[in-house]
Amino acid sequence: MARMKFICDAERCIECNGCATACKNEHEVPWGVNRRRLVTINDGVPGERSISVACMHCTDAPCMAVCPVDCFYRTEDSIVLHDKDLCIGCGYCFYACPFGAPQFPQAGAFGLRGKMDKCTFCAGGPEENHSVEEFRKYGRNRIAEGKLPACAEMCSTKALIAGDSAVIAKIYKTRVTTRGNGEALWGWKMAYGGSEKVSDNLGGKA
Amino acid sequence: MRTIAIAAAALALAACHEIPQDAVKPYAGKEDTKAYAGDTFKGDKMAYEKALDQRAQFQNDYAATREAGKSK
Repeated sequence: MARMKFICDAERCIECNGCATACKNEHEVPWGVNRRRLVTINDGVPGERSISVACMHCTDAPCMAVCPVDCFYRTEDSIVLHDKDLCIGCGYCFYACPFGAPQFPQAGAFGLRGKMDKCTFCAGGPEENHSVEEFRKYGRNRIAEGKLPACAEMCSTKALIAGDSAVIAKIYKTRVTTRGNGEALWGWKMAYGGSEKVSDNLGGKA
Repeated sequence: MRTIAIAAAALALAACHEIPQDAVKPYAGKEDTKAYAGDTFKGDKMAYEKALDQRAQFQNDYAATREAGKSK
């Protein structure tokens, strides 16, 4: 059983917004709703880094934990989806999500909050696959066509990769170890500095 | 004495099993159709998983151009 995830390679992302555009186009996402967006750190400064952020389809999803109407579910492939017919637009999931993934379209003239919308990993929602209703509420169901999310497949530098976590982690590791510094570019030391041993580092747990 | 030792060991080991950390949250919404249930895969889960795996490999540009880690 697959566990679907995204990885964004900050070394490759060129902040082209191709992923966000592909997502908007694929699902005809309304104005004001951004299922995917780019976050840039140290913008304009040498060494700036960008990553593409959307719902990360958490294994222990906080949105799912806080939802008062229990409208979230997880598919066989660990994709976190929700039922819009049940959603009351309370916004708890937005507060709980560490990635700011849940989006709320304006549903009226007075800033009334509509039903939550978020990245579906291009897997639609609880409607019949490829039905008009599914497209209207959740967007296109590419997964049911044997395709991966449009954002990752459209990524020109292949910074954003999507798929089964075991498969994409392997792809990413191959990439990192081939960049020139071999195994040194993988693991704790590269990510956090200091010793390879977790227990030797500040705040590290043995 | 032996019985007490066995009982004590059993009691001590009882704490070693893994307690599920995440309680199963009920889902109150509509049942979703399986991704492989449509016309494309006609319920064939294996074919569906294979298709996604193959598709994921297209993202590996090292595999597409040359064998990873080796220069031409």
